[in-house]
Amino acid sequence: MFPLRIAINSRTVFSDIKTLWRRSPIAPVVLLSSDVKDEAWTSTKKPGGFADSFEKFQTLNESDEKPQTFASLLRHSAFIDLGDPTGKIVIGKIFHIIDDDLYIDFGWKFHCVCPRPKRNASQYVRGATVRLRINELELSSRFLGFEKDLTLLEADCTLLGLVQER
Amino acid sequence: MFSLKLNRFVSLCPIKNIKLFSVEAPQAAQVDPVSALPISKQEEVLRHPDYFNVHNLFTVQDLFEARVHYGHKEGSLDERMLPYIYGSRLGHLIFDLDKTATYLRLALNIVAHVAYRDGIILFFLRGAQNAHLVEQTAKECGEFAHTRFWRGGIFTNANKQFGAVTRLPDLCIFMNTLNNILTTHTAVRDAAKMTIITIGVVDTNCNPSLITYPVPGNDDSPASIELYCKLFKSAILRGKEKRREHLQQQ
Repeated sequence: MFPLRIAINSRTVFSDIKTLWRRSPIAPVVLLSSDVKDEAWTSTKKPGGFADSFEKFQTLNESDEKPQTFASLLRHSAFIDLGDPTGKIVIGKIFHIIDDDLYIDFGWKFHCVCPRPKRNASQYVRGATVRLRINELELSSRFLGFEKDLTLLEADCTLLGLVQER
Repeated sequence: MFSLKLNRFVSLCPIKNIKLFSVEAPQAAQVDPVSALPISKQEEVLRHPDYFNVHNLFTVQDLFEARVHYGHKEGSLDERMLPYIYGSRLGHLIFDLDKTATYLRLALNIVAHVAYRDGIILFFLRGAQNAHLVEQTAKECGEFAHTRFWRGGIFTNANKQFGAVTRLPDLCIFMNTLNNILTTHTAVRDAAKMTIITIGVVDTNCNPSLITYPVPGNDDSPASIELYCKLFKSAILRGKEKRREHLQQQ
């Protein structure tokens, strides 16, 4: 139990100290005023404006980031943020076009295939960013006579339109 | 009697002027006839837990960004894949990337060692979307790829099918183990029959039991396949470089 230290300012009133002591009898209350500085208590002076920012910029490029665990990566991922995928709006990018079929990748395991809309048809090119509404993340279903589901290896989304460039 | 005379002859003449009848062979480093590498070096490489430093080829974050943790839906799950799965999010299965990282490092270590010992590596992938990428990868690291229809007896009936004595691959790497949703690639079973090491990326709907070094992870996204190709290529090139280095040192 380290000794209780109260640095008393000349303006401190005896009754103030008594109330402080009553409020927290175990934890020491430290009152430090700028006039009364105990040399043994504080060792470093706070650096001035330029010196402080110089120090900050010295270590700007060094990142002490600990490698994130898989559990934390997953917890904070966009996939978990999505929640129930049905009806959610996502941004996708067209990576392949065959005639009027647009193959769109939106960061999920599978891509989705959407027909080219009538509006702004010529603007849907490879690399274009589009808005999608997810219907199903994976088109898979159990069919009669099979033990496991059959998957189409595709997601099902509705194309809402191009992303508006602002 | 002749030996007594020889002893007297030896004692009379100084040792350094004697030429013995049997000449000892010079102390050359013994070379393994199969891999053509010096045996002492080879044993040093084999004893090391990670001689080619494959553990720092990737991080769990790289796997995460390449979408390796995404699995299929619960309805198409193969029960044998349960140990590798972290959980399921609203019906969609998620791989435990910590486990995947361990298995992938084991596999990369094996790949590097096989490349170091001048083994033949054969890449497999069935699926038109990524087939070209795998063929390119194999070409770039000087190994082989088979991404087309697999005839029945290529491994099991090789001598008859190719008409001459054939050397089979020493390692088969499957980027995906399924031909289509319903059937596993025949080469998985055939490689096991011919005692060829197999490394395979197994998704939640695959059977990992016949594969020597399974790597549980996503095999459907092009991003994941690109990552696997990049990692296997680096491991092979590292193994080959060390081999060149050790052969030159000899």
